[in-house]
Amino acid sequence: MKIFRSQLRQELTVMARNGEQLLLLVVVPVILLIFFSQTDFLTTESENKIDFLMPGILGLAVMSTAMVSLGIATGFERSYGVLKRLGTTPLGTRRLVLAKVAAICVIEIAQLVLLIFVGQLLGWNPNQINLAQVLVLLLVGTSCFAGIGLILAGRLRAEINLAAQNGLYLALLLLGGIFVSNDELPKTLGDVAQVLPSSLLSSLLRSSFNNNELVIADAIALGGWALSACALAVISFKWSD
Amino acid sequence: MSVKSCELRTVMVMNLSGQSHEVAISVRDLVVDYKQLRAVNNISFDAKHGEVTVVIGPNGAGKTSTMEVCSGVRTATSGKVSVLGLDPKKDRHKINSQIGVMLQDGGVYPSARVFEVAQHYCNLYGNRTTAGELLEMVDLTRQEKTSWRKLSGGEKQRLSLALALAAKPRVAFLDEPTSGVDIFGRDLIRGIVRRLADNGCAVVMATHELDEAQRVADHVLMFQDGNLLANAPLIELRGSAGTNQTLEDIFRDLSSNAAISRSREAQ
Repeated sequence: MKIFRSQLRQELTVMARNGEQLLLLVVVPVILLIFFSQTDFLTTESENKIDFLMPGILGLAVMSTAMVSLGIATGFERSYGVLKRLGTTPLGTRRLVLAKVAAICVIEIAQLVLLIFVGQLLGWNPNQINLAQVLVLLLVGTSCFAGIGLILAGRLRAEINLAAQNGLYLALLLLGGIFVSNDELPKTLGDVAQVLPSSLLSSLLRSSFNNNELVIADAIALGGWALSACALAVISFKWSD
Repeated sequence: MSVKSCELRTVMVMNLSGQSHEVAISVRDLVVDYKQLRAVNNISFDAKHGEVTVVIGPNGAGKTSTMEVCSGVRTATSGKVSVLGLDPKKDRHKINSQIGVMLQDGGVYPSARVFEVAQHYCNLYGNRTTAGELLEMVDLTRQEKTSWRKLSGGEKQRLSLALALAAKPRVAFLDEPTSGVDIFGRDLIRGIVRRLADNGCAVVMATHELDEAQRVADHVLMFQDGNLLANAPLIELRGSAGTNQTLEDIFRDLSSNAAISRSREAQ
């Protein structure tokens, strides 16, 4: 337990010192939330812009932490030989992975609390939240994006990985139904977007917050993404270059 | 002089001085291939507790590959390696608590600070020593709050060594601990390596600086192109070659002999 705690502390300090990461994790989602809720660029049909916006932004926060932040940090750790060296200590793979998962969860909780607080200030007042469903979705989303981030981090060179994570983040954000509803995209693009994990997560979260029914097919698809991403990450991950 | 007769004389010297040391690492017929390239070509050797075994040879001779297989971070293509009687890959969780490993590239996150990393490694090994003690040993107490990226080359090497010492290891693998280190740092590191061995640790240390090897080695493994040119105690190597000869001279001789016998074989 002491070893795990020590590793978790190390993970969190390293993340906290990465200024550009914190920007991406904390500042960007908040600014996006404020900007799009206070302007008229959103083309949503819902009466309240923030009701449409908030679930997508929460999904975005999960994606930035679990995929980009974890993926970039892990890629650099691999190239600096940090993972290789830790592999010679009594730490062990299991505790390393658990510490990373715990670190992501800690950061996500902080992000969600902050975003929900800002959201409330901006007048977000969802009716009848299905809390259990929200939590499960966030968890499944986290595993899915962590898996994707680690697939890239486990194979690519650190700098290429950095670019790839950011590029993928942008693509998943634009095609995530977060700001632009997928129906409004050109037909083919919209069809593709619909099955991407970011779209699935944001639309599933939207239903859970606004008391709509859970679309079972979407939930299964997101679960499928999570399972296959994690499995592929485990199979393909290389501990050193 | 052949490697075999070296080994024979080793045994005699040991018996005369009455200090025969227990074998800590045993490597038999080790082969390591990287795709097309054979990095380590069928080598065998032992490393003993209480001795500094220095692995020397030019860049790309197979030193690091051999050490990485022994420390469990690389898989051998074939051959048998045993460390403290265990398999470095399969019994990793049992071995890891007893070995200290210093890799060539440090392996510390650049933003991590000196004290914090030392403390973390102490925790990983169940606090057998304290971070303060470790840093004092490698003379980094004043740099406690400095991040890894701001350390000089020599300071990085000293911290990296300190992390390996957090294990209070029974076996230590040090890959080029003195490269990029200034003269005082070298003395300090050499002192630490000597004390480790005197306390019964089996130290395996790679270097391509032969002067360094000569100062600290008990036993020498000379690598070239993945082959072992020599596997003998330093005293034996130098004794057999004439006392005026440095390891560098000996290496050149053995290397050209090997080349001659290869070309004979080819004919």
